[in-house]
Amino acid sequence: MTHDLEDLKAIWLDLKAHVEQLAGERQHYLDFFEQSPEAYMITEADGTIRDANPAAIDILQCRRRSLRGKPLATFVALERRAEFRTRMKALAARASPAEGCWRTIFVAAGERTEVTLTARPVERQGIVGGLCWRLEAMQ
Amino acid sequence: MNPRNSPEWLLTTVTAVRDLMIKRLEANSLDGEAKREMEMALEELDVMWEELQGQAALLVCENARYAEFFEYAPDAYFVTDGGGNIREANQAALELVKAAREDVVNRPLSEYVASEERVAFLTRTVGLVLGGATKPSVWQTQVQPHEGAALAVQFSVRAIPLKKNGIGGLCWLVRPLRE
Repeated sequence: MTHDLEDLKAIWLDLKAHVEQLAGERQHYLDFFEQSPEAYMITEADGTIRDANPAAIDILQCRRRSLRGKPLATFVALERRAEFRTRMKALAARASPAEGCWRTIFVAAGERTEVTLTARPVERQGIVGGLCWRLEAMQ
Repeated sequence: MNPRNSPEWLLTTVTAVRDLMIKRLEANSLDGEAKREMEMALEELDVMWEELQGQAALLVCENARYAEFFEYAPDAYFVTDGGGNIREANQAALELVKAAREDVVNRPLSEYVASEERVAFLTRTVGLVLGGATKPSVWQTQVQPHEGAALAVQFSVRAIPLKKNGIGGLCWLVRPLRE
């Protein structure tokens, strides 16, 4: 019995170490995303926002929590939305090159800002599982 | 990710230990005290299992999201260790240097810098490693892809903890200059 409990304790410590390692890996990529001076966003293939880093939040002037689940298209000026959707669909369908880059107008907190969008599809088992975006506000 | 480190592995292992203990209990070969101890251990294991399940599920989800972002970021990124060797390169970086991942990882990043720029590159890198790269450092140079002509780029470098041990590494954003 003592042997069983010691084995159990050893296994638990081993498992704990593995979870800690997983946490370390997450921290590495989290730091990469969060601390980047570039404005980055992650969306679903249909443009639904999953995450935005602090630099992107500055451009969108919106709280992080309220961004999640919102379509990115809602930040695009009405007259540019059709073009935005066409380009995004082409990327999601991989009908365009690996990356798409175009200028558009964002409307955030009532202000219009010219923004260059660069997006790249995320491949998951051969299908597009999402889009990674860079936002560059024109000075 | 090493399969032995995956949450799936963790959960499978805990489940296997739990099943083994249940079998021993069912075999009824234990005396009263040993049986109670086993039952208590089993309960403890259930709590651990739930805790691990929660942690692992959260980690796997967040890991996947941010690791995927690194891999498919719309910019070329390299992560190097203190010795300037490439630890990670994303899709855009591999496309930039026109090389396969296995040819790039563990090679010095300086190998992809045009030969006439290499001394300046190494001098700056040593300065960044010694100085801790607390603020992003930006400069223009020439990258020499595996094939074809050299390419004018802008390097933007910042400190990042390395994946395995958390020791300081450098994260290199390489952006081709628009002509």
